[in-house]
Amino acid sequence: MQSARPRPSEPTGRALLKGLAFASPFIIGFLVLYLWPILASGYYSLTDFSLFKAPKWVGLANYERMISDAKFWKSLYNTLFFTFVGVPVDIAISIAGAHILNQKLKGQPLWRALVYLPSIVPAVAAGFLWRWLLNAQYGFVNEILRWFRIPQPNWLLDASWGGISVIVLMLWTVGGTMLIYLAALKNVPQELYEAAELDGAGPLRRFWHITWPMISPVTLFQVIVLIIAFLQVFTQPFVLSKDPGLGTQTATGPGDSMLSYSIYLFQNGFTFLKMGYASAMAWVLLFVTLAITLLILWSAKKWVFYDNR
Amino acid sequence: MERKAQARAAHAAMSTALGAVMLLGGALGAQAQDKTEITFSYLWGGAEGAALEQIITDFNASQDKIVVKGVSSPDMTKQLASMSSAKGAFDVSDNFASNIASWANQGILLPLDEFGLDTSDFPESIMKQLVVDGTLYSVPIATHNFQLVYNKKLLDEAGVTPPTSMAELADAIKKLTKVDAEGNVTQLGLGLTDISAGLKTLGYAHGGDWNRDGKPTPTDPGFVEGVKFYFDNVVAPVTPAAYNKFVAGFGPYMSDQDSFKQGKIAMVFEGEWRAKFNTEAGMDWGVVQVPGKTPELNGSTWADVSTIFIPTNTGNKEAAAEFVKYLISPPAMEKFSHVLANLPGRLSLVDSATYDDIPNFKVWLDALKNPNTHGLPPALYMAEYNADLASAFDSVLQGAQTPEAALQAVADRTGSYSQ
Repeated sequence: MQSARPRPSEPTGRALLKGLAFASPFIIGFLVLYLWPILASGYYSLTDFSLFKAPKWVGLANYERMISDAKFWKSLYNTLFFTFVGVPVDIAISIAGAHILNQKLKGQPLWRALVYLPSIVPAVAAGFLWRWLLNAQYGFVNEILRWFRIPQPNWLLDASWGGISVIVLMLWTVGGTMLIYLAALKNVPQELYEAAELDGAGPLRRFWHITWPMISPVTLFQVIVLIIAFLQVFTQPFVLSKDPGLGTQTATGPGDSMLSYSIYLFQNGFTFLKMGYASAMAWVLLFVTLAITLLILWSAKKWVFYDNR
Repeated sequence: MERKAQARAAHAAMSTALGAVMLLGGALGAQAQDKTEITFSYLWGGAEGAALEQIITDFNASQDKIVVKGVSSPDMTKQLASMSSAKGAFDVSDNFASNIASWANQGILLPLDEFGLDTSDFPESIMKQLVVDGTLYSVPIATHNFQLVYNKKLLDEAGVTPPTSMAELADAIKKLTKVDAEGNVTQLGLGLTDISAGLKTLGYAHGGDWNRDGKPTPTDPGFVEGVKFYFDNVVAPVTPAAYNKFVAGFGPYMSDQDSFKQGKIAMVFEGEWRAKFNTEAGMDWGVVQVPGKTPELNGSTWADVSTIFIPTNTGNKEAAAEFVKYLISPPAMEKFSHVLANLPGRLSLVDSATYDDIPNFKVWLDALKNPNTHGLPPALYMAEYNADLASAFDSVLQGAQTPEAALQAVADRTGSYSQ
């Protein structure tokens, strides 16, 4: 007996060509706008290149130079400080805020819209706004601290507070993460809470044993996305620090406390015309990001709970 | 019938008018096509941009071969990107002298020697910034230097006369600095609206130089002494924390909240453009040359230059050079610098009566002829060096490092600069 074979409606080769034609906008875009620049920057990182002259092969010299470049280490330290302080605080505020937004309060849709509002404000505009809010002389933030008799720091012109100011500005858009957590909270089965309550579990135990594991896949995603965003931070420190009226013209903040990795990379590429060194820095950032992401993914086996396992 | 005739007449009149407009447009188009069009992309905007547009209009009116299109584009990164391609977006542009050496070295500036530009009366302090390895790459459209500007009202109230020596300056700072009962600064005797410019000026006034013989010299004793003078006389007496808290309240430069305009600082090292702003702001102000550590050093300052250049990737180098020639001609330079209250780049214009209506302008004009006015020799490393100096100055004003330590840290980095 002959087995019945489905007959293709048209030759496989033709179908493949059609498929490729439909996918070509992405394929061409990916090759030209992503893959080629990535490969080119890899090559440039091994050269002395200024954009204007032909690249000159220098091998690993750009990478070796980083070892003795104090500003490179300062920018890396600052960026890791923003990341490892900013991301946990961002996650904590988001989860707490999502719980509040999950309550049955009057006008809840309005509150949800309001917390998301800062996320649609352009980063530059938000930076200018926060420069006034954090002003040591006239700022609203210090005014509030004064009411409570809390010491008022010089947020933008004191080296020990410059990095914190950047983190504060980054946290301004925490509403986006909060709404994602709100969606995650709504997906936690209510019967789990009811059962736990019957067993006498209090709010903290319910959070720790039910909510946290159930939203842990979302946390994993948020941690990785936020780490990538914090490692690439540019606009916030750039706007906060670059204001002649503040008496600082370094674009790196007091004591270089706002010198992020991306700002130093930009300076090398477009101000000092050291595009080879800037390309090498970009690759180092890629590997740092990759290493941290892989570490988190590896650790996820221990703290992320998937209920379909 | 009558209506039909009227309609026919109107139709004929409209057709004739349309034809005339088309013919005129065609003729004008043909005339424009005969002219070489070049683009002048300038970093200025606002009043400066408007002044340049007027000069462009004057040039176009005087020309039957070239027409210049002015474009205000304040983005320097975009300016650089345009010069990296085979065919650029502009034929003439402007920048500052500190970038000339680096850009000439990259091969993106057209050498100007072959065009026979008249540079005979450019001050030496200016020319040395624009000639790289014996080749002229850029020419000045305006120049700048820094002098000691003071608030007359505040000095009178404190019984202080404008200082003429470093000792008098130190004494004036002391008398003009005010601190309230809680230790908060309410007025600074000497402020910095541009930290780098102010501290470099003080370095020159102490006989120092931060860039000697084409090499970065951040630990030059006179330069270190200048930075130390500011810290010891302005910052240390009120404490760095109180100083920085006060500075945090400074509003945007040359706005209504400007620190000098608001009377928050009594004296400041400022460029000549300040003359116009102070006057328009209705301030009672004066200016003296920068006091020196010794009488021979009186009037020490440094000259910065707003320069005009032609990129290598221009397709119209002859027309571009013709326009540059016009821009730096005495009448155009005088007009531009007068509108902006900037200094001219020609010694022959220093005594021009045109500038008489700008109050106190003569102090800055005279500095163009003063041998104590320093020009920076062109150097490839200037951008990096300036960024490192800015960080070092900030570190000193924060009280985080002594001037010696902060400037030594810069010296330690100079080895990696482009040479």
